[in-house]
Amino acid sequence: MRTMKTLAVSVLAAAALVLSGCGTSTSSVKPDDVNPEGEIKPHEISWLLSRPVDGGVITAMKQIAADYAKDHEGFELKFITTPDRPSYIQKLETLAAANKLPELFDIDATPFAAKLAKKGSMVDVEAMLKDMGLYDDYRTSALDYQRFDDGSLYMVPFESQVEVFFYNKALLAKAGVDIPKTLDDIPQMCAALNKAGITPITMDGQDMWPLERFMAYYPFRESGNDYIKKLKKGEAKLSDETGRKAVQWMADLGSSGCFQEGFSSTGYADAQALFTSGKAAIYNTGSWDLPTLGTEDLDASVRDQIDYFLLPVTDGGATTQNEYVAPSGIGMAVNTKGYDPLVRDFLKYALEQYPKVYGATGQVNPTTGDGTTLPSNATDLYQRVVDESDNVGDVTAMPWDTQLDSTSNTRLQQELVLLVQGDVSVDEFIDTMDGVIAENGPKAFAE
Amino acid sequence: MLPYRSKKSVLIFLLPPLLFYGLGVLMPVIQSLFLSFFEWDGISDMQFVGLGNYAKMFAGDAVFWQAFGNSMIYMMICLVLQLGGALLVATLLMQLTRGREVIKTLYLLPAVISTVAIGFLFQRIYSMDPVGLLNRLLQVVGLGDLARPWLSDTHTVLAAVSVPEGWRFSGLYMLIIYAAFMSILAEIEEAAKLDGVNEWQLFAKIRFPYIRPVWITTVVMAVTYALRGFDIPYLLSNGRHGQLVTTYMYRTAFTNTNYGYASAMSVFIVVECLVAVGLIFGLMKRKVDE
Repeated sequence: MRTMKTLAVSVLAAAALVLSGCGTSTSSVKPDDVNPEGEIKPHEISWLLSRPVDGGVITAMKQIAADYAKDHEGFELKFITTPDRPSYIQKLETLAAANKLPELFDIDATPFAAKLAKKGSMVDVEAMLKDMGLYDDYRTSALDYQRFDDGSLYMVPFESQVEVFFYNKALLAKAGVDIPKTLDDIPQMCAALNKAGITPITMDGQDMWPLERFMAYYPFRESGNDYIKKLKKGEAKLSDETGRKAVQWMADLGSSGCFQEGFSSTGYADAQALFTSGKAAIYNTGSWDLPTLGTEDLDASVRDQIDYFLLPVTDGGATTQNEYVAPSGIGMAVNTKGYDPLVRDFLKYALEQYPKVYGATGQVNPTTGDGTTLPSNATDLYQRVVDESDNVGDVTAMPWDTQLDSTSNTRLQQELVLLVQGDVSVDEFIDTMDGVIAENGPKAFAE
Repeated sequence: MLPYRSKKSVLIFLLPPLLFYGLGVLMPVIQSLFLSFFEWDGISDMQFVGLGNYAKMFAGDAVFWQAFGNSMIYMMICLVLQLGGALLVATLLMQLTRGREVIKTLYLLPAVISTVAIGFLFQRIYSMDPVGLLNRLLQVVGLGDLARPWLSDTHTVLAAVSVPEGWRFSGLYMLIIYAAFMSILAEIEEAAKLDGVNEWQLFAKIRFPYIRPVWITTVVMAVTYALRGFDIPYLLSNGRHGQLVTTYMYRTAFTNTNYGYASAMSVFIVVECLVAVGLIFGLMKRKVDE
């Protein structure tokens, strides 16, 4: 009996030690303590990310981490990726709620991210990059995309993309239409394409954000990002002139049959296939699709017909042709919990090496300097779209899914499908969304 | 009557499962109940709101009631397919003299396929562009006008997500009901047949009353599973249309990070299941008493 008691006490003591060890093994720094003192002790670190497994960012960072590990025995960068964005966000938010985020994690400049930053969970990236002497290397647009409304920067950009409208010249010619000059030309163009039996615009409705991009276009052309910045806080309404014009335009896109039937349940691969198989005339996507659209891997009958145009303007709008959606992708935040001399040293090494390695994968860097090495089978289109990155104007359109609070954003995505499908009227849509944003927006952005 | 020592042994053996039940089922329910009185986004401080979340749920959230209505329709479709289909197939199987095992196995197969695979399968079946199996079949039989994007059309999405769930488990309930039918003593059926009953009377007066306890169990299982149904609707429609209380709760918690309100909904689901089971037992008992 006595032996049993001794055993039980020993087990409890061991458990207590293990548990206490778990609780104190990772230190935490202040957000602006970007260069913590101490010895660099190699250990494993993790990056929770939402990027394609075989994409340029992971490929480049794997190579860089392997090189770093050669001189730092015991170091390993573990990639935990969930490319499907809605699933990733759920995972991220759950881990954040449990205070279990790893050393590095991907996040957009959303209200949720702002709360994490306010809580002191993210390292001040502007201070970190300046301390590392890398801040000035970055494109202004790439950094601006990652900033919160107050101008603070807590995420490192790893990409520089431009979102354009790829189109099939032969299909537009068959329907007897030109590329649209203004946003108001698009519904008419869709009607003509439909008449010719061609799907006007292919839409990945399953991911929801591609349709939400369209909602952002009209207000961006009319007033830059001012409208969404006010709308998300409840300071502007969709019933205002700008909002109503945008909602009406979305409804017009729907009634003109701009998107394929059943678009809301079409996934990314099927939507892309509609364009690459020559069935759909237009595909609004980013330069991340260039390896598919701009190389000789694509069937010649479609490849030779592909060209692109930039976001059409509006008459008397506030933004110009070269100002459109040019995101630097989801950013990487650095957890203050676990930020130690090793993490800092690795990040400095990685961010110094990254432009050269990433550029070699055929992608555009978020930094200036190292260029893009095009794939050997790249077409002329590839080069022209890559060159657009250097011509992006001063203002870039902020995607609404990174701006609105999550409840309003979710509801907007659902209601937009109904609006475009004609299941709700313009007035019903406006009433619903103004109500939802009024209830959730001001609360989410309260200082 | 068990002797004292045996009672003690039973208690000792019951303790571990009770402990697991408490930790795995009761604790989360109590935690949800606790959380439902707060407003919490997962990272900020929790704010006590009393019954605020319940007030919002019952009086201020049209989406919740729409989701509740959808859940009821979803449950009805699932019940018709699962229990109706199971009863029909089990009855027909009783008539067969050969090939029963093959049919049973084939019918049970969907219950062992992974949910994700079923989700992908039906996404393809319902697809409009590229044309899926269902729309292709409609075109082949000359009903091309009925072809539609089943998962995007707001009029069909609810039925479209309910059918796979009904199809998936009907085999399982068929097996349970068939086993109950098989346990009916042959002498009883033979005596009834000698008395001149037809097949319908045999089913309605002998077989069905005999399997009533098993039937109640399957109804309870099917109703509670349907009320908690989540995976297939979520995979197929991702809550775009035809939201159920469960998918709405999940979205509220893990996309909108409104854990307090989502917890209030989860408490509602628990209560809803308990009420449903109570009603089923009540109705069945009244039927027996009559």
